[in-house]
Amino acid sequence: MSEFATLASPYSMPAALHGDVDLTDSDEKTRSRALNQFLAGVELKAFKMAQAALRNEDDALDAVQDAMLQLARAYAARPAEEWKPLFYRILENRIRDMQRRRTVRGRVFAWLPYRGDEDEDEPDPIAQAASPDPQPVRRLELDEAVGALEKALTELPRRQQQAFLLRTLEGLDVAETAAAMGCSEGSVKTHYFRAVQALRAQLGDLYV
Amino acid sequence: MSPVNETVTEFERNARVVLERSISRIDARTRSRLNQARHAALATAAKPQRPLWLRGATLMPATGAAALALLLGVALWHGEPAHRPGAAIEMPLPEGQGASMEDMDLLADSEALDLLEGWDGPFYEWATSETDLNGESDG
Repeated sequence: MSEFATLASPYSMPAALHGDVDLTDSDEKTRSRALNQFLAGVELKAFKMAQAALRNEDDALDAVQDAMLQLARAYAARPAEEWKPLFYRILENRIRDMQRRRTVRGRVFAWLPYRGDEDEDEPDPIAQAASPDPQPVRRLELDEAVGALEKALTELPRRQQQAFLLRTLEGLDVAETAAAMGCSEGSVKTHYFRAVQALRAQLGDLYV
Repeated sequence: MSPVNETVTEFERNARVVLERSISRIDARTRSRLNQARHAALATAAKPQRPLWLRGATLMPATGAAALALLLGVALWHGEPAHRPGAAIEMPLPEGQGASMEDMDLLADSEALDLLEGWDGPFYEWATSETDLNGESDG
């Protein structure tokens, strides 16, 4: 029995180790793939939300990028169901930081003469490429509605804007929205209701 | 469901369609940058992070050097070193005989040279001996 045990252990150990390594690698790959899929699914919506809040494309990209990094670095090990509220919570914090910084910068540089947009350059032909759309008239109507809704959204108070976009665009339920916004479900309902009222007052029923 | 709620639901539905259209209008350049940002985030997550204490240890030599420099600066600024190795230990001088900055100012002052010109050595020697004798007789 003892001889068997002595003989068995050297053979069993490498097999167990090998198995463990494979399992860990596989888990990591699976998680990385899931995170990639999750981020790919939210990045465009997150960009739109950040753009509505910051009213600047580059700042919005930076905010989304930072939120992605923070989620991947600090919360990748958390259950996948928690990623969405966490991601939008991080994004919201980042947006708020950028708005604060912008306010401070605005105060400091208010006395400087305006020198125009230094980042303004030639239009990118790739950026200008039209996306495939079957109906030109329908597209025109939708584009008009998009412009009107985006403009109305930027005029909403930040919390209302956030509640509306998380619920309508991202499709989060009240509890998830509350987790993302860091407030109670009652507050989410209030913000959302007021947002809808304000948008309807401005846009009508938005028939498209 | 009340008519108000029905209208809100219709509004939400339409708003969602419009917002989805808005998403589809995001240009290729922005999509590409978001894609790059995502891959950068995933690459960062894949890198093993150093433990916190090890990250702190990286800064230790720099912090120690800065503290040492500060300590040295304070010591040099605030006075003479207490004792130099190899030098004889200096005994404290009696009160009033220690060289101070005020004494140095007096010596550097040009008016002090005028005082030296009217120096009456014998008188001061006599005055000192008188003081000493009186002190002994009192004690």
